Amino acid sequence: MHSEYPPTLPAEYADIEFENNAQRMPLVLCLDTSSSMAGQPIQALNNALAEWTRELHDDVSLSYSVEVAVVTFGGQGVGAWRGPQLLDPRARMSPFIPAHAFQAPQLMAAGVTLMTEALELAMHIVAARKSELRASGLQYYRPQICLVTDGLPTDPTGHLTDSWHRLVPVLAEEQRARRFRLYAIGVGGITDMGEQVLRAFAPKFNARLQGFPFRELLQMMSASANAEQKGAGDEVFEKIFSQFKTQRPAWEA
Amino acid sequence: MTAAQPWRIHGLSVEGYRHRRQGLPCQDACAYATTSSVAVLAVADGAGSRPRSEEGARLAVKLAAEHFARRAKAAVEVQPGEAVHELLRDALRDVSEDFLDRTGADAQDFATTLTVVVLAPGWIGHLTVGDGFVVVRAGTEDGERQFHLLPQAAAASEYSNETVFLTSPDVARWTHTECVSDDGVDGVLLSTDGLAQAMLNRPAGGAQSPNTSFADAVFRSLDTATEDSPDTNLAALLRSDRLTALNADDKTLLRAVRTHVR
Repeated sequence: MHSEYPPTLPAEYADIEFENNAQRMPLVLCLDTSSSMAGQPIQALNNALAEWTRELHDDVSLSYSVEVAVVTFGGQGVGAWRGPQLLDPRARMSPFIPAHAFQAPQLMAAGVTLMTEALELAMHIVAARKSELRASGLQYYRPQICLVTDGLPTDPTGHLTDSWHRLVPVLAEEQRARRFRLYAIGVGGITDMGEQVLRAFAPKFNARLQGFPFRELLQMMSASANAEQKGAGDEVFEKIFSQFKTQRPAWEA
Repeated sequence: MTAAQPWRIHGLSVEGYRHRRQGLPCQDACAYATTSSVAVLAVADGAGSRPRSEEGARLAVKLAAEHFARRAKAAVEVQPGEAVHELLRDALRDVSEDFLDRTGADAQDFATTLTVVVLAPGWIGHLTVGDGFVVVRAGTEDGERQFHLLPQAAAASEYSNETVFLTSPDVARWTHTECVSDDGVDGVLLSTDGLAQAMLNRPAGGAQSPNTSFADAVFRSLDTATEDSPDTNLAALLRSDRLTALNADDKTLLRAVRTHVR
């Protein structure tokens, strides 16, 4: 761990036993891996995930607190990843893994864009994780879900669908009840229509970015996680996000 | 401190990893006051989201030490029970009014939690606004020292980083008071939520309880401390990566132990 802090305990206190009961901060990356992401975009995403993972491991304050889960939508449907491992949907294993142990998956791009179903899965795993944490007597911060896409929601046959409308009131209520913070980010060649979908999902934290700035995006998620740990007010998250949208490094301010 | 003082007291606050990395000051504070009959201990955690919370925390503990000591000194004959609860609430009202007088219209910028313990002959009073906590050492069982977490106010929210402040509306409703009358208590420690994960264990489905090895070590180091020796090891402990991994916030530990063997 990189830190100016003493890595070891003073001898007088070396016998203290600690449980790992850091307050947890569930973070879901809900990533578009449909065919439009093939080639350079998915490569950029994989590289950014690997680099972010290294930074996360080095961050003393986030590495034992943040728990990462990855949800992808592409191929034939949606998938939940526990680190590098795609989970069998029938297995009842939580996809959340502590940041210090997280390893980035190698994602491939192909297939359809089940964005609605992916967000439903993200909400489901967040709710399930909160129950687990409560049952284990662990405290937690407000979770973050980050949706990243370059397209529009489709059905399982790849045709555009309006089924995402069903999600809008659900997400509105979940965000009103502060069950999580949702970020919805459009990248690459996302259309006006695509941007409208993201705006409907996440009225506060939506953005349409040039190219595929995944690195900045993931750094923004870390900055927001830090702000959450600090107990920052909503205005701080909005500032971090607006600086991210204009692609200036807010977290260095 | 005079030899007549029944308690040896030591407190420190250290900036957390996050504040240190961002070059921000420590937003925790602690203070104590002793009179011929009572000792008052106070810790505060300034709200990270407010611009002047560092000053707020320092002001809160300073005012608490003054007002609680004044009230307690004047009522040293008070019996454990309802009278103590009343005394604590009256003293908090003094602190709140003074705090609001001094911070004026910008009071919310100074938002801070406040946890106070009054050590009086015959009773120990505890008052808390927000998520600070108190652990006492009392008695032995099978040769092991026993530690107890004093009851706390109910959590203010689903999320652990959201709490109640001295400047919160309707603060009296969220204030928790306790009166302990147990002559066996020979150690008291106050802390802010920065040490909650290290100091308290939260067994699945059970009540929180002190981390015995931590509590024992930090009480023991004060039992054996020499007068006025700076406790650099304790600061190093509070700044260690091991504790930062559990919580990167500022940390405060204010301890009192009885000075004579009972």
